[in-house]
Amino acid sequence: MTEPAVALNGVTKIFPVPFQRCSIVAVRNLNLKVAAGQIYGLLGPNGSGKSTTLKIILGLVTPTRGQARVFGQESDRVASRESVGFLPESPYFYKFLTGEETLRFYGKLCGLSRASLRNRVDEMLQLVGLTSARKRQLAGYSKGMLQRIGLAQALIQEPALLVLDEPTAGVDPAGAQEIRDLILALKSRGITVLLSSHLLGQVQEICDRVGILANGVLVREGSLPELLGMEKETQFVVENASPQLLEEIERLAAGSGARIIERGSPRSSLEQLFLEATETPEKRTDE
Amino acid sequence: MSNRSHRIFSLGRLTAIVGNSFTGLTRLKIFYVLLLFALLLIGSSVFMAQMTFQQEFQVLKDIALGAMSLFTSLLAILATARLLPQEIEDRTAYTVLAKPVSRFEYLAGKLFGVLLLLAFSLIAMSALFFLVLTLREQSVLSETARQMGSAPPEQSAEALRLVRASAFNPNLFSGIAVIYAKGCLLAALTLFVSTFATSTIFTTIVMAFVYFIGHLQPIAREYWLQTNSGGWFTKTFLAVVALVFPDLQSFNLTDDVVAGNAVPLALLVKTLTMGLFYTAFYLALAWAAFFRKEL
Repeated sequence: MTEPAVALNGVTKIFPVPFQRCSIVAVRNLNLKVAAGQIYGLLGPNGSGKSTTLKIILGLVTPTRGQARVFGQESDRVASRESVGFLPESPYFYKFLTGEETLRFYGKLCGLSRASLRNRVDEMLQLVGLTSARKRQLAGYSKGMLQRIGLAQALIQEPALLVLDEPTAGVDPAGAQEIRDLILALKSRGITVLLSSHLLGQVQEICDRVGILANGVLVREGSLPELLGMEKETQFVVENASPQLLEEIERLAAGSGARIIERGSPRSSLEQLFLEATETPEKRTDE
Repeated sequence: MSNRSHRIFSLGRLTAIVGNSFTGLTRLKIFYVLLLFALLLIGSSVFMAQMTFQQEFQVLKDIALGAMSLFTSLLAILATARLLPQEIEDRTAYTVLAKPVSRFEYLAGKLFGVLLLLAFSLIAMSALFFLVLTLREQSVLSETARQMGSAPPEQSAEALRLVRASAFNPNLFSGIAVIYAKGCLLAALTLFVSTFATSTIFTTIVMAFVYFIGHLQPIAREYWLQTNSGGWFTKTFLAVVALVFPDLQSFNLTDDVVAGNAVPLALLVKTLTMGLFYTAFYLALAWAAFFRKEL
C-alpha cells in the first residue's frame, strides 16, 4: 500500500463550552503521517489531545479545520472504518454478552459471513488466550480479560490499521507484556498499529516512530533513535569480563576513533524484576 | 487483511444491532418487574366482582387494554431513554461506531430492538388477556346454558350468542394494534430526545411532559380554535405544535373497543399510518441530531 495508513493535515479541533463564551482547543494544527506497517506511538500527558486525535481518525469526532485520512479515505466516511480496528481506553463492552457472543456481534458489524465468523471467533479467542472463558459473561471478566477481549474485537475483521487507546491501562505487568508481544506479532503480519500511551517504557520498546503531544500541539515527532539522539551508539552487556578485557576494549575503541560514553553494571527495571520474580513455567491463558 | 467494499446500508449490520439491543433490554430486571405487574393486573381481572356478564366483560377488557396501553407506553419510554446516554457513558457506542456502521444503522438498530421488545411483551399480555377472556366466556356460557335449560332453543341460542358477542369482537385486535403504534411513536420520540439529552433521567422527565401534553394537546387546540378566529399564524403555530407533540389522544381507541363499538377501518388505517409516520419522522429527526454529534 502506498497510501499512508493515517494522514492528518492541519487538523484542529475546538470544543465550544456550552453557555460560556470560550472554547477549548483540544488539537491544534496537527500534521501527522503513519506509514503502513509501522507501530506509531502517540505520547502525551492526560488532556494533551491524544484521545481526541484518535477519535478524529475513527470518525467519532469531526475536525474543526484540516483533513484526516485513513488509507486515503476521509476519516468521517463510514467506509474508512472497514480497515480499522479500535480498542478504547478502559473498554466497557456489553456485559450481558459472553466473550464469544461479543466477538460474534462485532464480527457481524464488520460484515463477516456466518462461516468465516465461526473460524475467526475461535482464532481470536485463542490469540488472546480466552478460549476457556468464551462462554462466560463479560460481567465476570477481570480488567485484563476485558482488555484482551477488546483487542480480539478490534482484530475481528483483520484490519489493516489497529488503533489502541492506552492498551495496557490497568493491566498487570505480565498482561501488559503479552499485549506488547501481540502488537509486535501483528506488526510482523503487516498490520499498522497506532497506539496512544503515557507509559514511556512501553512505547520505547515497541514503537518505530513516536509523536509527543502537549496541550494539543505536536511538540516532537520522529523515530526513536532520531528523537533520543542515539543513532550512532551501540550497547554491549558482557558477563564475567575481567578488568584486563575491559581495558583492552577501551583501548581498542580509543584506537579506532570511537568513544566510550558510559561504563557500569546494568540495572534491571522494577517491571523486569517483577516479571522475572512472578514468571511461572506455564504460559498464562486466562485469569 | 480486510479489503471489503463498503455498502452504505447493510441489513446484516442492522439486525446485529437490533438483536443486541433486544437482548440487552430483555436482561434488565425492570422489564420483568413491569411485565409481571401488567400480567398480574390482567390476570386479576378474572376475579371481578359478580356483575352482569356484559359489565364483567367490559370491565375485564377495560382493565386489560388499559394495562397493556400503560405498560407499553412506560416500557417504550423507559427502555429507549437509557439506550443512548448509557452507551455513550459506557463507551460501548465508540466500539460500535468505530466499526463500519453508519449512525443511521446504529440508531435504527437501537429503535427496532425496542420495538421488537414492545411487540413481544404485547403478545405476552394479549395471550394472557385472551386466555382470561376465554375462561370467563366459557364459564358464563355454561352458566347461561344451565339457566336457559328449559327455555325454547331459539331463545337459548340467542342468549349464548349475546354472551359470545359481549366477550369477543374483532375490534380487540384493532385496539391492540393501535396500542403498539402508540408505543412505537413514543419510543421513536424518546430516541430523538435522548440524542441531545445528557442523561436518562432528563430524557424520561421530558418524555413525561410530552406524554401529558400529547394527551391534552387536542383539547387545548379545540379550545384555542373556538375562542380565537384562527388566522394563518395561529393555524401555523398549532400545526407546528401538533407535529412536535403528537396527538396521543387519537391513539385512544380503546374506549370504543371496550364499549363494543365498531372501529371503522378507515379510522384504524388512519391511526396506524399516523403512528408509522410519526415513528419514521422522529427517527429521521434523531438521525439528523445524532449525525454530527461529537462522541
